[in-house]
Parts: sequence; structure tokens; C-alpha cells
Amino acid sequence: MSTQNNHARKTPWDFWRRNSLIWAALMALLVLSLVLAHVPMGSFTVAAGIVIAFAQSGLICVLFMELIEARPLIRLAAMSGVIFVAVLFALTLADVLSRVAGR
Amino acid sequence: MSEATGLLREPWESFERQSEAGTLGIWAFLASEILFFGALMLTYTVCRIENADAFAAAGRATNIWYGTANTAILLTSSLTMTVVVQATASGDNFRRLILACLTVTAALGTAFLAVKGFEYKDDIEKHLVPGAQFALTEKSAQLFFGLYWTLTGVHAIHLTIGILLVLRLALLGFRRRLELDRNPEIRVTGLYWHLVDVIWIFLYALIYLPGRAS
Repeated sequence: MSTQNNHARKTPWDFWRRNSLIWAALMALLVLSLVLAHVPMGSFTVAAGIVIAFAQSGLICVLFMELIEARPLIRLAAMSGVIFVAVLFALTLADVLSRVAGR
Repeated sequence: MSEATGLLREPWESFERQSEAGTLGIWAFLASEILFFGALMLTYTVCRIENADAFAAAGRATNIWYGTANTAILLTSSLTMTVVVQATASGDNFRRLILACLTVTAALGTAFLAVKGFEYKDDIEKHLVPGAQFALTEKSAQLFFGLYWTLTGVHAIHLTIGILLVLRLALLGFRRRLELDRNPEIRVTGLYWHLVDVIWIFLYALIYLPGRAS
């Protein structure tokens, strides 16, 4: 790890600058979801809240949890939970929604 | 790798591998947590599909300001936790910054629980606990609040564990009994903390936002 001695020493500002921008984006999305929840758009109102939640989670997982820099094995482990939940939702809702539609 | 040799544990021969294994291990655990909360959220989704109007009425009965304030608190705690992890990973001896941010993170987590406590008090006073005295006339609204108490309660337990883990790191750090630079324990704790935040983001959308526009 010879490069370790050559790297430029960071300052606290280096950590705050990038992460504060991400935090500001997360807060802006929070305000947006709060506002959109009060706008009557039918089923789009529900969808807007969920989509914004996915956007916020994506920012946290990719940037705060550093999946963007992680090795493929780590990314695979991280994705496994999401994939299994997606299968769980897809199979269950395929049954439930077909029954609701059949009523 | 000289700074990290004090952190090397058996059975690993290199610190890099130990660190990688820690990250892989916590992600495997977090995947199981995603499944756990995913199953509860799926239960919520099915109940909501079948009782859309009652869930909208129940959603309106929650206090959106408590929920929004708590979301802002947790998002901010994720910021301070990220600074902790990145300052630790830099290996540049940011001891004061790391300890200050660990303390703020634990404080924000505690603030979340305090706000939740006030919200629970209000909910109990408004008879929003499923049972004979339940306030809302829509029968299926009890399903919503059954899931509300379960989801937020289990989340609060997870957050409490997170606060204890962060406090442990801060305490050991203040007493100089923990090497802070490049310590995998800090990265692992940080990942757990962020996941608790991510779960709350979805709970906020599912619990506090429904029924506001109608």
C-alpha cells in the first residue's frame, strides 16, 4: 500500500461538501413527497410517494452506503434481498390482483 | 497496511480480506432484514388493495408532521453517519470529527425515538389502538393501525439497537480503546444505520402519505 503515503490529506470539508449535497437532495425529495401527497391525482398520488421513496433509497444505497464503489460480490449480496422481495411481491400480487379484478 | 495491523483478527491473514468479509457479512444480514420488512410491507400492500378507502381514512388519522420530522431527523443522521464512515476510511486521523459525528448520530436517533414517543402518546389518547375503543368507524382501519404499530414498533427496536451500537463505538473511541482509522466495525455499523433509515423512508410513504389528497 505504498500509495497510502502519497495521497493528499483530506480536510473535514471534503467529507461535508459532497455528502451535504446528497442530503439536500434527500430533503428536497422529502418535501416533494409531502407536497404531492396533498395533490389529488388519483392512483398517481400513491405512486408518486412510492417512486420518491425508491429514489431516496437509491441515493442512500448507492452513495451513502457506497455501493457505487463496491465490488461486484458486495453488490450482488446487496441486490439479493431486493430481488427476493421483488419475487415475493410479484407472485403474491399476481394472485391478489387477479382475484380483485375477477370480482 | 501498518495502521491496520492492530485491527487484524483471526482467521484472516490480510486486513483487506477481513474488511471485505465484514462488509459482505453485513450485507447478507441486511438482505435478510430487507426480506423481513418486505414481508410486512407486502402484508400491508395486500390489505390496502382490499381495503383502499379504510386505509386512506386511517392514513389521514396519522400525524404527518411527526412522521415528516422523523424522516428529516433520520436523513440527517445518515449524513453524519456517512461522514463518520468516510473519515474513518480515509485513515487520516480525523478523531474529533469521527467522535463528534458519532455522538450527533446517536443523538439524532434518540431524538427520533423521542418524537415517536410523543406520537404514540397522541395515538393512544386518540384511541388509535385496535380494539373495542378504536376511534375510526371504518372496520378495516384497524388493520391499518395493527400494521402501523407492528411496523413502527419493530423499526424502533432496530433503531434502538443502532443507537446502542453507535454509542458503543463513540464511548470506546472517547476512551481511546478503539482504533478509529480504517476500522471495519465502523463501516459495518454505518451500513446497518443506513438500512434502518431506508426502511423508515418506505414506512413514511406507506403510513403517513395515504389519504391526504382525498
